[in-house]
Order: sequence, then C-alpha cells, then structure tokens
Amino acid sequence: MQIGRCDMALIEIDTLSVTFNAKGRKVQAVKGVSLAVAARESYGLVGESGSGKSTILRAICGLAPISGGSIRIGGQVFDPKAGKAFAARVQMVFQDPYASLHPRHTIDRTLSEPLAIHGLGDTDARVMRALDDVGLPRNFRFRFPHQLSGGQRQRVAIARALMLEPEILLLDEPTSALDASVQAETLNLLNRLRAERGLTFLMVSHDLAVIDHMCGRVLVMQHGQAVEELTRDQLAGAQMKTDYARSLFAASADRLLAG
Amino acid sequence: MSLLSVKNLRVTFDTEAGVVEAVRGVSFELGRERLGIVGESGSGKTMTGRSVLRLIRPPGKISADSMVFDGQDLMAASERQMRALRGPRIAMVMQDPKYSLNPVMKIGAQLMEGLRQRDKVSAGEAHEKAVEALEAVQIRDPERVMEAYPHELSGGMGQRVMIAMMLIPNPDLLIADEPTSALDVTVQAEVLSILDGLVRNRGMGLIFISHDLRLVARFCDRVLVMYKGRVVEELAAKDLLAAKHPYTQGLLNCLPRIGGPRQPLPGLDRNADWAV
Repeated sequence: MQIGRCDMALIEIDTLSVTFNAKGRKVQAVKGVSLAVAARESYGLVGESGSGKSTILRAICGLAPISGGSIRIGGQVFDPKAGKAFAARVQMVFQDPYASLHPRHTIDRTLSEPLAIHGLGDTDARVMRALDDVGLPRNFRFRFPHQLSGGQRQRVAIARALMLEPEILLLDEPTSALDASVQAETLNLLNRLRAERGLTFLMVSHDLAVIDHMCGRVLVMQHGQAVEELTRDQLAGAQMKTDYARSLFAASADRLLAG
Repeated sequence: MSLLSVKNLRVTFDTEAGVVEAVRGVSFELGRERLGIVGESGSGKTMTGRSVLRLIRPPGKISADSMVFDGQDLMAASERQMRALRGPRIAMVMQDPKYSLNPVMKIGAQLMEGLRQRDKVSAGEAHEKAVEALEAVQIRDPERVMEAYPHELSGGMGQRVMIAMMLIPNPDLLIADEPTSALDVTVQAEVLSILDGLVRNRGMGLIFISHDLRLVARFCDRVLVMYKGRVVEELAAKDLLAAKHPYTQGLLNCLPRIGGPRQPLPGLDRNADWAV
C-alpha cells in the first residue's frame, strides 16, 4: 500500500521546520520535513533521541513553534486557535503515563473533562463505555492515577484521548515506559481500537520492532531531517537505501523474526 | 571467592491489608561479572537490588539467612557501617534521571558534593575529578554540563551523569536498575559499552536489572529470571533466548519482531504454579 503525497491525505506536512530559542541560541529541531498520511493509515516515525520525531507530533498539536512549512489536517491549514474543533479531530497519547495524567484528578474527572469542555452530554454512559473499551474494570472509575499500574495508566491515557472520538491519534512512544508483557497488551489494544473505529495513527517510537508491528510505512529521521521512507516490506526485507537507516536496522538485529 | 553472596533473601511489607512478600527466598552468588535480573514490574527485581544496600524503607523489612559482601556481613552491619559501604564500595544507578537528580542543583555541584563531603578534597580538585568522570562516560562538553541543571539535559545525558556520579568513588559493585530503559537504541549501546568497559577494566561486579530480555541476553554473563518475588530460572545469558521455563518463554514471545505476523501479540499466560 504505497500512498504518495496526494490530495487525499488526511495529514499533510509540507517542508515543516521547528526552531526553538534556547538561551538566545536558535536550535532547529525539525528541518524541512514532508510527509503525508492517508486516512486510516498507520504511519511511523523512528530515529534516535533528538532526531525531531516527537517534535513533529508536538508541532501538529501547536506545542512547538513552527518556523516554516505547513501542516494540513484534512486539507485545512492548522490554526492553533482552532482549539475545540482541532481537539475533536486530533488527540495525543504521551510517552510517560506517570507524568501525563493529573495526579489529583480521579480517572472519572480526567475522562469527563473533555466532555464538559465540548458540551457533550451523557457523561456517565460515555465514561463507562470508555473504560470498557480500553479493558479497565468499571470500579477503577473513582481511583487516582497513583492507585494504578503503568499499563493501567496508559490505558486511561488512551481512553482520555478517545473521549471526543477523534479521527487521528498521535502516539508518542506509547509503550516505551512499559514492560514487555504490558507493551504487548497495549499494542494489541491500539490495533483493535484502530480497526474498530477506523482511526489514523501517527506513531513515534525508537523501537523498530514496535513500529514494524504497528505501521504500514515508516519515516526514518536523524538530526531533524527525514532520511528515508520505508514501507513495511522494505523494512522487513532490509531494503534501505541510506547508511543511517541501515545502521539503525543493524542495531535492532536482535528484534528480527529469525533472531 | 565471590564478591557478593545472598542466601534466602526475603523482603516483606506489613500493610493494612496484611503482609505482602515482595521478595520470597532469593539466593545468588556474584563474582566480578555481569549478572542480569529480569522480570516484569512487581516481580521483585528492584527490591532485590535495593536490599543489597539495605535501602528498603519501613514498613518494608529485609531478612536473609546470609548476605555477605566481600567478607562483610551486610545483615549484621550497623547503619554507620552501611553508610561507609554505600557509594565507595557498592553503588546504585537508579532508573530515571528525572527523579533521581536534584532538580534545583547544578550537575557540577551534585557531582562534587560527595567528593567534598566524604573525601574532603579541595574545590579545585573536586571540579577536576568531576570533569574527568563526565569525560569517562563520553560527555563531549563536560564544562557546559557541569553548569547545567538536570532539566537542561536529555534523558541519555542525565543517565550518563548518574553513572559518572556513581563511578567517582570507584565502587567494587554497581547495581544498575533499568539504567537504559529510558534511552533509545543508539544511546543505549553507548551506555552499555561504558558499563562493559568498567567491568572489564576495573574488575567491577555488576547487577543489571532490566525488563528487556533481548538486551540482557546480549549484555550479561548470567541471568536470573524473577516472577512474583522468586527466581524461576537461572541460566547463562547466551541461553536466555532459548529458555525452557514457560514464564521466560512467555516474556520473549510477547515482544514484537520485525517482519513478524500482524496478528495480536500473545499475552503472558500467568500460571500460579510457577509462583508456589
């Protein structure tokens, strides 16, 4: 399934640059990266830390200063002031489930807040359904984050992101803080939800095996630049053209099927 | 003679809901080698590591038939004797640099604190040693890092700073609790080669606690697999990927693989028999 840069793409990023001002020094975290993700596709971003992969997700949400290029969601240029309309279409799941949930809000409050902001009724039923969807017992509803394990918290974070029924989920290393067995459960959950709801994923990970399992295409990044785009078959067949992508693949050799 | 010998270690927590046993009868010997401890969260691997330093807070209690480090009985040692061991003889690298470094203290000051307080060296000498330690963990611009606060460093840099800090007193035993879990593959490889060099060149013993089986298989000499506070399997690291125990196999099978099938990953079959 090779989808080029076409008008039908749900997420279109065109020569995006992000520049941070650090103590008077300009640091360009993303340098002219372009990519296009079709509706219902799952697209991966992979690279070492500091390669700018998370920054792209943050830029989509307006959490990073865009210094050049454009981001279009469903053909519309993204406007940070769009606020509610944007949040209803795009949601993000962060890496660290220990830091991304409000420690003094119950799960119920965390899940019902987006509903209140967007003026959606039927809160009670929606919160219950959200817990069911991510496989959490209903009696977890009035617990606090510290009373849950890491995997359970990440399920809450996923449930929260899905409360407004968005089309697009931005996943920033959703399982890198989790154990192998909990990672497997969380990846299975994400795949099931994507199939059931026709979600589009843009997923960041440094684990090539996770990206391979979850995504149809992957963009390899280094030092803020796009190095190479690979389909899943090219990745599994080690058909990369650039040295960097090859070295990243070699460093993951123990994650191959045969190994 | 082994560097560390632990026999029948138990860690219990007296909670309102009754006694919780976090570690239930763990025994192992450690020479000047790399011992891996793997298991899921809650399997007691971190508690085992902390017990060696007797760093379990009340209501947690440690008991053991014996726990001997380099001829010294750790169970009988006074708190004062333990303090003399922690740091100079046995050091521990914690999991997360974000929570283990003092957020309002410059890196340089944190590195020099021990040298100034414990070894009573001059400020100039402490500074020199701290910079050396940062260079030893391959930090390119040590003078800048000395002046930085923890939030100004990336995860990989923070982790290397913690390793540098632990290595200043040149310990005989290093307990590393998930030292690379927060790092990506390439930085991970760097940190591992630093640790590897220290085991080889200084003859240090290393207890490497991790949930990443593939990493432990590659990096360690010997591995303990823990489940619910017990060691369910002990084997040479090179044999880990061909482990016999169903629990170890389950941990391996739930990892995604490049080129693997797209069907749901197998979950872990938790059989209560293993835990008995």
